[in-house]
Amino acid sequence: MDLYLPIAEMPMNVFLLLGMGAAIGFLSGMFGVGGGFLLTPLLIFSGVSPAVAVASVSSQIVANSASGVLAYLRKKTVDLKLGLYLTLSGIVGSSIGVWIYGVLRGLGQLDVVIALCYVAFLGTIGLLMAVEAVRAMLAQRRGTPLPVRRPGQHGWVAGLPLRVRFHRSRLYISVLPVIGLGAIIGFLGALLGIGGGFIMVPALIYLLRVPTAIVIGTTLMQTLGTMAFTTFMQSASNQTVDVILGLTLMVGGVVGAQFGARVGQSLRGETLRLLLGLLVLAVGLRFAVDLVVRPDELYSVSRMGGG
Amino acid sequence: MIARALLIAGLACLATAARAETLVTALSTERVSIESNFTGSGVVVFGTIERDEQTVARAAPYEIVVTLTGPLRTMVARRKERVAGIWINREARQLPRVPTFLAIATTAPMADVAGNPVRARQGLGFDMLPTRGLPDALPPVRTDFDAAFFRLMQKENLFDLDEGAVEFLSPHLFRAPIALPANVPIGWYTATVYLFSGGVLLAKTTQDFSILKGGFEQAITDLAHQQPALYGLATVIVACFTGWLAGVAFRRD
Repeated sequence: MDLYLPIAEMPMNVFLLLGMGAAIGFLSGMFGVGGGFLLTPLLIFSGVSPAVAVASVSSQIVANSASGVLAYLRKKTVDLKLGLYLTLSGIVGSSIGVWIYGVLRGLGQLDVVIALCYVAFLGTIGLLMAVEAVRAMLAQRRGTPLPVRRPGQHGWVAGLPLRVRFHRSRLYISVLPVIGLGAIIGFLGALLGIGGGFIMVPALIYLLRVPTAIVIGTTLMQTLGTMAFTTFMQSASNQTVDVILGLTLMVGGVVGAQFGARVGQSLRGETLRLLLGLLVLAVGLRFAVDLVVRPDELYSVSRMGGG
Repeated sequence: MIARALLIAGLACLATAARAETLVTALSTERVSIESNFTGSGVVVFGTIERDEQTVARAAPYEIVVTLTGPLRTMVARRKERVAGIWINREARQLPRVPTFLAIATTAPMADVAGNPVRARQGLGFDMLPTRGLPDALPPVRTDFDAAFFRLMQKENLFDLDEGAVEFLSPHLFRAPIALPANVPIGWYTATVYLFSGGVLLAKTTQDFSILKGGFEQAITDLAHQQPALYGLATVIVACFTGWLAGVAFRRD
């Protein structure tokens, strides 16, 4: 059954869309990430224009993170103050991202920048995750615990000025890395149509040393705030959010996420991180191959002013 | 369709007598509406060739060319080049005011219908369609970018040439079915019918028709373009509500 998408101006099979949403939702529930980094490329490969794909996926991420935040708020594992700092800086980053997006689209270089960013970020994060997970697994097999850093050891981040106390996370750290992190994730989110959870989670754990229990809820809060703003901005300035496409993906996504979460709970942490790392790496590689291999068609045609 | 044909015949009777042939044409529909289940559609162009006693006898058979031209837009064709190991868009050419949709149906191969000078003057055929301004007496010079434009538009099913698709129902009555693919652009279209004989253009008619979104689809598009802030806000609220609903529905504690 085909459904005509009014903003994308093309019909797509409704079951394919629900299935995509559900599959990505399943993975996101399993790994605790938004899944935008998989869903946006999937839509682009299905023929949706990158402009509409990136903007519409942001609305799907809002729905996904909203249901997540509610669950974590009930468990009281959200640092609202830290989340607020991250969200506000994320909104600033997102505004810049939406603007750069429009500029690149006009220059005809949006696709290559998106591809390069995917390669760089997914490649790096995927590799780091996979390596870390394998090391943890090997260490466990040998029975030697990994060297754990002492609580006082904060690295270069601790040396920065403008410290703020985050009670819920039991942290007294500079706001500069917090704001920087939020802004970068917001920027990438708007530019690439990703929630950025897969970057935010490790950054909060390893860089800011936020307690693991607080990390996911706080990340989801930042994702919700930033992506809600991004959806609004993409609608207001680029008019590329397809609400029918977004809604279909949301319905599939939220259902898939529930089943994914159940499977995720039954898997070991290291296995989960290794699988996620490999998945992220695979998407990055897919983009790298497209960039390096000589394309079959060297030409492309688009309407003046994007689209 | 029979009613349409009768209508055309009726109209033809009213047409004033002339020495040359008169072409009378009609469309099976004046408006295609795109609803949520739209997966493509079609339009049929009907026509009749009117003659009277004074009309000269033609040695060559009548040939018909029907074109359906979509909204004109300025398009950009880009070429990828390898820079530092990766393929990126380098050179670009603008194609000012070219059709975003063009379907051509004929009774015979285009080259047999009319010669290049005649078609060039009309901008008729993919090889004669001007990509820089108005039709000229000389065939347009094609660059690699122009060639890529025509190739890609045909690949997207937005440009189509169907030689032999125009069918004569009687010696003077013809019909041309034209398919509208699922990705057909929205807007105003012009159906043009050309009557040729022996490579000479005898008559030409044009008719407008529109492809518009249906009520609900149009309402969404209007809201997105005319009230973008409201549309964005509504989308965010819908998304939050969906998320909340899912959270409640699947709550496990």
